[in-house]
Amino acid sequence: MATELLLLSLQEILFIAISGTLICIAVHFVPVGGAPAAMAQATGIGTGTVELAAGSGLVGLLTASYMYSSVPDAPMALVLAAGAIGSMTMMAVTMFFGGLVYAYGVGVPFASAQVKKDPITGARQDIYMSKGTQGQGLPMVCYVSGLIGGALGGIGGAMIYFALESIYKPLIGESAPAVAGIFTMGVFYVNAVIASYGVGGTIEGFHDPKFRRVLPKDTLTAFIVSLLCGVVAVLIAWGMV
Amino acid sequence: MSDIKEIPASTLAAFGIIGGLVGIYLSPYFPAAGALGAICAVIWASEAVRRVSKYGLGTGVPSIGQIAMGMGIVASMFGLAIMHTIPLAGPIVALLTASVIGLIIGWFAQNVIKMKIPVMIRCMTEIAAAGSLIIVGFSAAVAGGFEFKQLLHSVFDNGIMLIAFWVGAVAILHPFNAVLGPDEKQKRLLYLAGSTGAITMAILGIAAMMTLGNSGIITLLLGVILWLIFYKLFWDEVYKDAAAVVGTGLIPRTEA
Repeated sequence: MATELLLLSLQEILFIAISGTLICIAVHFVPVGGAPAAMAQATGIGTGTVELAAGSGLVGLLTASYMYSSVPDAPMALVLAAGAIGSMTMMAVTMFFGGLVYAYGVGVPFASAQVKKDPITGARQDIYMSKGTQGQGLPMVCYVSGLIGGALGGIGGAMIYFALESIYKPLIGESAPAVAGIFTMGVFYVNAVIASYGVGGTIEGFHDPKFRRVLPKDTLTAFIVSLLCGVVAVLIAWGMV
Repeated sequence: MSDIKEIPASTLAAFGIIGGLVGIYLSPYFPAAGALGAICAVIWASEAVRRVSKYGLGTGVPSIGQIAMGMGIVASMFGLAIMHTIPLAGPIVALLTASVIGLIIGWFAQNVIKMKIPVMIRCMTEIAAAGSLIIVGFSAAVAGGFEFKQLLHSVFDNGIMLIAFWVGAVAILHPFNAVLGPDEKQKRLLYLAGSTGAITMAILGIAAMMTLGNSGIITLLLGVILWLIFYKLFWDEVYKDAAAVVGTGLIPRTEA
């Protein structure tokens, strides 16, 4: 029975593994500065990696599940798009208001410490950096990177939800959204934390040299751990019969 | 620090595992026992969080509480669900599954991500295992049992699982997050862990009043009483450890 179930849900397990990896990659795109950024002494949003990833990911989960439940036989692409839009909205709002606080509250010019010129606008960065800091605020490239991260995280979260919901729904009916949603949160947190351990707490976005250095090993870890979570989550369906 | 005698990690682990499992197995007869067992696991987990976070995770202590619950929730439901024909084995299988997932994540963190924390593998295993006991314990206190079908209707459908997930995570991560620093002591941490566990029990007692009625009141009252006791112990410990607070006045204005 267990092997049969696993074989039948191979596709779903693979979806969960891929989406876990997407979430892990997403975290690398999000400009997180941690505590130094909260004091405007580093580039990025002033909070932890996990908090940001979870905040945007959970909004994505909400929009994705709303789409799943309100559109009859919603195709996967639609649910994933809903998740991506939700996450990106949350990310954009967070960065926009964070930016307002940095610009008009703290009063710092936005500058990245990792690149000399903003790869998107081409604006000089180093002359605007205050001495003794790691950059401040959210330059254009960080904002764009954050939006990409939001989209990937939202797609990842929505894909896990979609995969689990399609397994659980025939078995437990009305309880399925709750169970699928909570397991999605579980897998989401595991991958967000793995990624944040990989980046060591702070990263500016895809232009950060750290991005290339840590991405491969974090992606490998996230893939294997999510695969394991996928197998476990699919086997739970066995107990629902 | 070496002159202060600390409770060894393995003693606390034994306390957490035995206390947690006994509490969970008693929960069908006395639902509040599940939450009491979960408090034992909270105390164990916060000690494991303390040992691993001392090395500096780079991401803040909260991240480890969240990963613990993330691993715990998937593993514990797996254990309970796959053992639905032999419900008694459920909590033990949940504990073992969580330990294995924790071990694998710890191994990857240590050897692939290269976090260079010597206790990473052991602590990650302990935290995941404790996370599963906390999830099963608190949800058993609300559902009045630990069978998967029972939990499905009285913990998942109404969203109480989210409270167990979040408040449980804070119960693990808050103690070390609050007491860390140069003069951090294990005793103070353990009392605070007891109090965060107890306040979680009280909150879930309110939830249990919804699902179980009168026996939820017992969970709520026991939780509040335990919280007061542990908080008083923590308070006393803080007073004992605190150096004298002396009023020095404002900084003199020399440059005026």
